[in-house]
Amino acid sequence: MHHTTTAGVSTCSAALRSLHRERRFQSAGMSTGGSDSTVDKPADRAAEEEEGPIQAESTMPSVELPRKRKGEVEERQSLNFNLEDDLSRSEGEDQQVKMKCFREPHRQIEKRRRDKMNNLIDELSAMIPACQPRARKLDKLTVLRKAVQHLKALKAGASGAFADAKHKPSILPHDDLRHLLLRAADGFLLVVRCDRAKILFISESVSKILNFSKLELTGQSLFDFIHPKDIHKVKEQFSSSEMLPQQRLVDASTGLQVQAEAPVRPSHLATGARRSFFCRMKHSRVTGKHEGKHSLPAASKKKETYRYCTLHCTGYMRTWPSGQLDPEGDAADKETPSLNCLVTVCRLHPNVSHQPPKDVNVKATEFVTRCAIDGKFTFVDQQATTVIGYLPQEVLGTSCYEYFHQDDLQHMAGKHRQVLRSKEKIETQCYKFRTKHGSYVTLQSQWFSFTNPWTKEVEFIVSSNRVISGPGHTKDESEAGSSKSTQDEAQQLPDIPGLSTGVGTMIYAGSIGTQIANELSDTYRANSSPSSGASSPFGSVQEKCLLTSRSTPSREEEAGSSSTSQSQADSSKEAAESSGAPESRGDLSQLDLDVPGLSSFSSDEAAMAVIMSLLETDVNMSQSGDFEDLHWPF
Amino acid sequence: MQEERGDTHWSQAISSVLQGNLCWHHRHAASRGTPQDAMTADKEKRRAISREAARRRRRVESDVFGDLSRLLPLQPSVRAHLDKPSVIRLTLSYIRLQTLLKETAGSHEELGHGARYRHGGEAQDGCLFELGKETEGLDPLDENSMYLKILEGFLMVLSTLGDMIFLSDNVSKYMGLSQTELMGHNIFEYTHPCDHEEIRHNLRLTAELGCSQKRDFVVRIKSALTHRGRVGNLKSTTWKVLHCQGRVKLCAASSSVSCVLLTCRPLPLSHTLLSTHTFTSQHSMDMRFTYCDQRVTSLLGYRPEELLGRSIYDLCHTLDTSCLNKNHLNLCLKSQSVSGRYRMLVRSGGYVWVESHSAVIPGVQPSRSRPRPNPSQPLCILCVTYILSGVEEPSLQLSLDQTFQRYLR
Repeated sequence: MHHTTTAGVSTCSAALRSLHRERRFQSAGMSTGGSDSTVDKPADRAAEEEEGPIQAESTMPSVELPRKRKGEVEERQSLNFNLEDDLSRSEGEDQQVKMKCFREPHRQIEKRRRDKMNNLIDELSAMIPACQPRARKLDKLTVLRKAVQHLKALKAGASGAFADAKHKPSILPHDDLRHLLLRAADGFLLVVRCDRAKILFISESVSKILNFSKLELTGQSLFDFIHPKDIHKVKEQFSSSEMLPQQRLVDASTGLQVQAEAPVRPSHLATGARRSFFCRMKHSRVTGKHEGKHSLPAASKKKETYRYCTLHCTGYMRTWPSGQLDPEGDAADKETPSLNCLVTVCRLHPNVSHQPPKDVNVKATEFVTRCAIDGKFTFVDQQATTVIGYLPQEVLGTSCYEYFHQDDLQHMAGKHRQVLRSKEKIETQCYKFRTKHGSYVTLQSQWFSFTNPWTKEVEFIVSSNRVISGPGHTKDESEAGSSKSTQDEAQQLPDIPGLSTGVGTMIYAGSIGTQIANELSDTYRANSSPSSGASSPFGSVQEKCLLTSRSTPSREEEAGSSSTSQSQADSSKEAAESSGAPESRGDLSQLDLDVPGLSSFSSDEAAMAVIMSLLETDVNMSQSGDFEDLHWPF
Repeated sequence: MQEERGDTHWSQAISSVLQGNLCWHHRHAASRGTPQDAMTADKEKRRAISREAARRRRRVESDVFGDLSRLLPLQPSVRAHLDKPSVIRLTLSYIRLQTLLKETAGSHEELGHGARYRHGGEAQDGCLFELGKETEGLDPLDENSMYLKILEGFLMVLSTLGDMIFLSDNVSKYMGLSQTELMGHNIFEYTHPCDHEEIRHNLRLTAELGCSQKRDFVVRIKSALTHRGRVGNLKSTTWKVLHCQGRVKLCAASSSVSCVLLTCRPLPLSHTLLSTHTFTSQHSMDMRFTYCDQRVTSLLGYRPEELLGRSIYDLCHTLDTSCLNKNHLNLCLKSQSVSGRYRMLVRSGGYVWVESHSAVIPGVQPSRSRPRPNPSQPLCILCVTYILSGVEEPSLQLSLDQTFQRYLR
């Protein structure tokens, strides 16, 4: 109930909002239309008026005024032109000037007319097979002659149909028209006697819809084929004759009751009251070949072996004077002075509207955020509030790492690095995001980085976050993720120094992003000016390591999986980067003091381990760097 | 040939006279000499020749146009008033239509067989023969007009680009423009700018081969008909709301003949409201009930007075909100709408399938002296809701209403 209401209200307000939008658009459209017509419509319109079939413009009233204005402009232009052309004109020649400025738009009209004609001819030549190999453009006359030939051929092909309809030529042969009609309407024609509900006529197309053949149905009682619960409904339509006094018609545009329209046909085909109703009819499943062709309407009930199709029947009552037709008919017909029939078209009720109800999103399940390269939120979309509890302004400027669960930091940092270096979209695993209420919501994100095309630097990261709610669903994945991350941790332990202590995690979490960002900016620097950092020997080493580390991810991507030693080297490389990056002064003595997480290590051993690993890295890196140097000359 | 040359001389003489008159100022101002005169005479001659050639070309061209228009299956009265672009336009539509029909004939031969079978088969059965005679009284021409009449609308065949390839001839009854005036033109010229996106969406055929090929939408179309049903001035067109239903016809062989077959009809709100299986209601613009007729009690179990002030969204099945939402939007934007099938909750539990036909009407009944509704007046929505099915799953509780009903009884 609650859900229904909120959904209703929200959709309702959405409807009204978009109404406003359309209103605005409409007015905008009007005005632009108006200005458009100032530019080139008037002449066009004039041309069309000349041609006969007038095309109505949507912006009729707004055209007149600009048209005058345009005339003035042209007058001035042509005036200037004439003055330049011939300076010795006297005042008396104003008449001629005026004539010229009427001729000016006329030329344009002519041109437009010609263009239109040429377009039509082009279209025509595209439709005629004889003009098909269009190596060169055919001239107008040839195209027209070919068109004449083509039409003659077509006529010859369809001669039978044309012979039929001699009395009144129409664009379409009647059989074809009927065929198209029934295709479009997706229904069948039905004539039923009102008194006995006998089916007098039913068109063949019924076989496509109800899977009964025409012969099976003709002469039968209609009620045999109608859903039992709808029989009363249909009877009601029969019983109320066209003489019914309280027949109410409501004009849709005014809401007023109006008179029934006067019959237009001659008397013996006089139409009576209109009918419009819905009923369900049996769908035969005798032959299996139509099975599944028509989707079973959800409303239909299974009874016996029949399915039911919902049909929309529209038509009218019609009376045939009995004397005119059926002179040798049975006694019952003679008793009744006239034959009341219901003539309807029954159309299969479209089943389109409730096809896509599966994606009803009553609750926001996705939100978009944008981060700077260091992971600080620069944009959070409104819907995020419903998921994470924070208002956008509460989150902006803080680092996303502050909200990640401790277990996920590794993974997220890895992905963060990855996204900064790749142009592809990066999918994260499911991770936990701390909401304002302290609980965690499981999200999965897709990240991509935006690279400024001018500076070739990554400017920000866009993340679309999907809510993966339900702990059961996420458990497997998160377990798999954590097991993987523990593996990673074994190798990447020194990666994020702030991690090793449980206490300071949140305080230092934010700096993870900063580190990663700095790595990147270092990479840029190394990239842009390779010689600048080469002053100290250590600097050069570090730079090499940065260069290689930049190249390694791509290599890894290519190779798919790398050897353990390689990955170990990588991890230690990264450690070197991550700890060394914030300084970027290339001085080792300062480096170990300023590593952000270092002071929080519980023991000196741990700190030493980190430093040792850093040193190791340097050795490794210098080696690998050398190797690379060696490789290059070959 | 001799004649023609004489003709040329004559026309040359005339034109030089004319030219002399026209260029008098010009020559006077420049005071040009005799060599110039000779040159102009030469120019005149050439000009006259080219003029004659152009005239001949035009004559040949109009002959061809004549042939073309005679080949089109048109009534002579219509044919007499066609200009050249219209001839081409109609020829184009005709050729397209023929291509389309050829495709159709190929793929649906069984239908034709059925038709032939009908005539043979009925003769055998006495009873059927009698019935056949009843309907045989209508020749095929009548039968088609009957179809269209019963449909209360016209047939429209649209190309994928929105060209109106075919319109049935009763289109004039709805748009005030004749079949020949409209055929070959683009639908976008005749529809409301705000509906163009929707039309385009509905014309989009590609990549939806497996998808549903049914189309069902509401558009506003220009109508030159006045209030009283006469054909008015084209400049004072009004928007007429049409309900277009139909299907896509894809031709894999040649994409140029893929099209959309549509029946377009004014929304059928103006029908008799006789059935006990319908009820009428009025709503404010946010779809809250302001009036509901008594029949709703027997159909859905609610008393009219308890519905007042409540939104129709409260009564519908949650999964059908989108359907109602679309309907609501259509109403707000186009003033008339057909909801399509949706579910309404029954008070005692379960739901029924319904369809609503609705229209926005002026809230205050307009007086007779002023039939035109004042746009500033508050609007309301009139709904006619047809019940399509019986109560389904009556034991299912889908709303608080239903629960109260069950346990407080």
